[in-house]
Amino acid sequence: MAEARAQLAADPVVLSCRDLTVAYGSRIVFEGVSLEICAGQWTAVVGPNGSGKSTLLRTLAGLTPAKAGTIRLQGRRLSAWPRRERARNLAWLAQTAAPTELTAAEVVALGRFAHSGWLAHRKAEDDASMHRAMRATGSLAWAQRRLSTLSGGERQRVHLARVLAVEAPVLLLDEPTTHLDPPHQEDVARLLREQAHIGGVSVLSAIHDLSLALTADRLIVLGHRGVVGHGTVREALAGDWLSAAFCTRVDIVEHGGVHLWKPALAENGAS
Amino acid sequence: MFEWACVIVALFLGAPAAQAAGFVVRDDLDRSVTLARYPQRIVTLLPSLTETICALGACGRLVATDNYSDWPPQVKALPKAGGIDDAEIELIVSLRPDLVLLSRSQRITGRLHDLGLASFALNTDSYPEIAHTVTVIGDILGLPDRAKRLNESISEEVQAISARAIARRHGHVPTVYFEVDGPPYAAGPSSYIGELLGLLGARNIVTADLGPFPPLNPEYVVRHDPDVIFVSPSEAAHVADRPGWDRIRAIREHRVCSFIPAVRDTIVRPGPRVAQGMQAIADCLAQVSP
Amino acid sequence: MLRHAVADLGAERFECAASGRLGTWLVCCVGVTMLLTAISLLVGTTSIEESWKWLLSPDAKSSVVLWQIRLPRTVGAWFAGALLGLAGAVAQGVFRNPLAEPYLLGTASGAALGVTVCLMAADASVGGLALMGQIGVTGAACIGACAATLLTVTLSRGVLQTASLLLSGIVTAFLLSAVTSLLLLTKPEIWREMQTFLLGTTSFISWSSAILLGIVLCICIVPAVLLSRGLDALTLGEDTAQSLGLSLPWLRLTLLGIVALATSTSVGQVGIVGFVGLVAPHLVRETLSVNHRQLLIAAPLGGGALLQAADLVSRWIIRPAELPVGAVTACVGGSYLVFLLWRRSRDG
Repeated sequence: MAEARAQLAADPVVLSCRDLTVAYGSRIVFEGVSLEICAGQWTAVVGPNGSGKSTLLRTLAGLTPAKAGTIRLQGRRLSAWPRRERARNLAWLAQTAAPTELTAAEVVALGRFAHSGWLAHRKAEDDASMHRAMRATGSLAWAQRRLSTLSGGERQRVHLARVLAVEAPVLLLDEPTTHLDPPHQEDVARLLREQAHIGGVSVLSAIHDLSLALTADRLIVLGHRGVVGHGTVREALAGDWLSAAFCTRVDIVEHGGVHLWKPALAENGAS
Repeated sequence: MFEWACVIVALFLGAPAAQAAGFVVRDDLDRSVTLARYPQRIVTLLPSLTETICALGACGRLVATDNYSDWPPQVKALPKAGGIDDAEIELIVSLRPDLVLLSRSQRITGRLHDLGLASFALNTDSYPEIAHTVTVIGDILGLPDRAKRLNESISEEVQAISARAIARRHGHVPTVYFEVDGPPYAAGPSSYIGELLGLLGARNIVTADLGPFPPLNPEYVVRHDPDVIFVSPSEAAHVADRPGWDRIRAIREHRVCSFIPAVRDTIVRPGPRVAQGMQAIADCLAQVSP
Repeated sequence: MLRHAVADLGAERFECAASGRLGTWLVCCVGVTMLLTAISLLVGTTSIEESWKWLLSPDAKSSVVLWQIRLPRTVGAWFAGALLGLAGAVAQGVFRNPLAEPYLLGTASGAALGVTVCLMAADASVGGLALMGQIGVTGAACIGACAATLLTVTLSRGVLQTASLLLSGIVTAFLLSAVTSLLLLTKPEIWREMQTFLLGTTSFISWSSAILLGIVLCICIVPAVLLSRGLDALTLGEDTAQSLGLSLPWLRLTLLGIVALATSTSVGQVGIVGFVGLVAPHLVRETLSVNHRQLLIAAPLGGGALLQAADLVSRWIIRPAELPVGAVTACVGGSYLVFLLWRRSRDG
C-alpha cells in the first residue's frame, strides 16, 4: 500500500482514457471520451439515465470492450495488465448485486481473492483488511449472517466492504449509495472522501443523487451526446454543466455551504 | 336316371362349396372374418406366418411379406411391406390382396378394414399354438389335409428330438440359463423358449412364477449355478467378466452357447421350423453336457 | 462456538464457521452410507435370514455373492451417485441455475448414441463384434458422452456465454437423440438392450468398475473443491467475478471438463440415471446454507447415499428380478420435486 502511494505521488494520474468510444452493437453509447483520474481524489460521474455512467465505469474497469480508444492504468495500457495484478489495483462495484447464499464474511473475503488466490488460505493480512473494511462500512455486526437475510441497505454495505477489502488504489463504484438511507448515504460519502484524501485512493463513482455528487472533489458530467464537462465542482457550477446535461430541468442552489439541486422552474412558473 | 340327377344336383351344390362361397373364420382378435373364396393373393406381416404358409406349399400365393421374413429364400424376392409397427399401407393396398395376415398387436386392422381389405389376426406365442396356427391357416387356404400332415410331421420330429436328447443324457437333467435380448432378461419356463427347453428335458433356473422374461438380478444366476448358459454372440465373449460369474459351472467348463442370427430365427419364431430350433438347442446341450 | 468468536468486534480472524448443522449433515450421510452398505450385504435374491446365515458361516458360493457381487455393487453405486451429485452441484454453480443437472451438456444423448452404434456394429459384422469386445458398452457410452460435450462446446463457440452453452446442450441432446432414434428404426431388435442402458442399471458393477469410479471421483472432486471459491465469486455475478481477478473462460472450461468427466464415467458404468445430480445439491441447499466448498463436499455424499438406497430398492422390490435403478431414482426424485413444489406453494 505504501508502494502504491509512493508511486501515486510520483504520477498523480492513475486512470486515464483517450478517445474512448463504446457501442452496444450499432448503438453508440459515447464516443471520443478523454478523461484523467488523479490520485487522492473523489470524482463523481453524473448524468441523466441512459447517458452511459455505468458503461463508462464498466469500460474503465475492463469489463466491457471499447470500440475505439485506449485506457491506461498507472501509465500502462489496461489490456497489458495481468488479470490478478489488475484486480489488485482496480476494484469495481456493480450497480445491482446478484442474490447469493454466502455469508457477509465470505463475500468480503472474496474481495481478497486477487491477493490470496484459489486456495482461500487467509493470512492475517487478509483478515486485517477485511476487518478494517467491515468496520468502516459498519457491517461487522452481521459478519456471519447470510446475505439473503439482510436488508438491501445492509447488503450494499457488505458489498462496499468487499470492494474496500481489495485495498486497490483505484475504486470504480457504480451507485454505491443504492438502498442506503440518507444518514448512511452521508456515511458512505464521508468514507469515500477519507479513502481519497487520507488513503490516497482514487475513487470514481457514478452517483444519481446530485446533492451527494456535488460533495465530491471533481465531477464528470455526461449528457446524451457524450461528456458535457469534467473538472472540479466549482468549474461544473460555473459552466452550468448540470443544467446542460439534464436539459435545463435541474437548478443548483447553495444553502449553508452545501450545494443542493432542485427542479428547474419553467418560464411560466410550472416545473 | 335319378342317380344322375342327384350327381348333377350335388355338383351344382358342391361347385360353390369348392369355391367356399362365404365361409367364416374367427381370428385371434375374436372377429368373424368372412371370405368369399380361398385367398389367392396374401400379404403376411409376421415371419412365422410367412413360414407357415410356405410350409403348407402355398408360397406362390404370397404377394408381399414383412421386412423380416427371410425363409424360405424365395420370399426374400417379394416386396416388403414394413416392420412390426410400421406396415406400409399404400404398398399393401396397391397389391390388392385377398387377405392380410398379421399379429394381434399390430394396429393397422382398423385402417385395412376402412380401405376394404380383409385382415386376419393370428398369434403364435407358445408351442401348442403352432399346431393351432397351422390348422387355421390350412382352413383359410383350403388345404386342411396338408395342414394336418404338417402338424403330424412337426409333432413327430419334435418328439424324436426330445427323446434323443433325453436319452443321450442318461437321466442327468442339466440346468440352463437362457438370456434373451441382452442382460439381464432371461427366458422363463412360460415363454416359448422356456417351453422348448422343457421339451428337451432341461431345467430352467428361472421359475415359472417369475413370468416369461424376468429382468434377473445377476446374482440369481451365480447362486443357481447352471450347467449351460445361452447368450447372444456379442455377450458370449465377455460373459465371464460379469462380477462373480467366473465361478459359474457353465463358464468354468466352457459350456456357453450362442447362436448366429439365422439359427436364432428358428428358435425365436414359433412356427413350422420349431424342430430345427429345438435341434440347434439340443446340439448345444449335447456338446456341452457331461 | 465459532460464531461467538467472530461477533467479537476485537476479533481479527474471520473463521468461516463450518456450522454445526453442516457437521451433523456430514455425519448423517456417512452414517447412512455405512448402514446402507451393511444392509446391502443382506439384500439380494435371498431372504435376509439366509443372507445373515451366509455372513456367519460363509461357503465358496455365498462368498462370491456377498463379496464379488453385492458389496462392489453398493460401493460402485455410491461412487456413481457421488459423481453425479458432484457434477450436478458444479453444473448448478457454473450455470448459476438450480435446475441445472449433469446431463445438460448432452452427455446422456451422446452416451445413448455411442451404445446404439456399438450394439449395431456388434450385430452387423465380425469386426464390429471385435470392436465391441474391446471397448464394450461402457467404453462406447463414455466416448459418446465426451463427444457430445465437445459438440456442445463447439456449437456454442467456446465457453464464453452460459446462455449459449445451455442452448447448445439442449440442441445437442435433441440432435443426438434424433440420430439414435433413426438408427434404432433400422434395427429395432437392439431396442431392448438399449432400454437396459437408458433406464440405468447397477447390476453389473464389479470391483474394477467400482475402483474406476472411485478414482475418477477423486480426480474430479479435488480440483472442484479447489476451484470452489471461483464458484462463490460467480454467485456475485459474472462481471463482479471478473473484476475480482477470475478468468471466467478458464474457470468454466475446467469446471465443465470436470462435469463431463464425472458424468461420462458414471454413465459408462451405470447407464443413464436421472435426478440424482439434480436432487442431491438441492437437498443440501434446502437443509443447510452453504458456500460452494461445503456444497461440493456435501452434495457427493448425499448423491452417493441416494444412489445406494435406490440400488437397494431396485434389488429388493421384485426379487429375484430387479427394477432398473434409473426408474427408482425417477420415482424418488420426482416425488421429492413434487414435495418441494407443494411446500413452496403452501408457503406462498
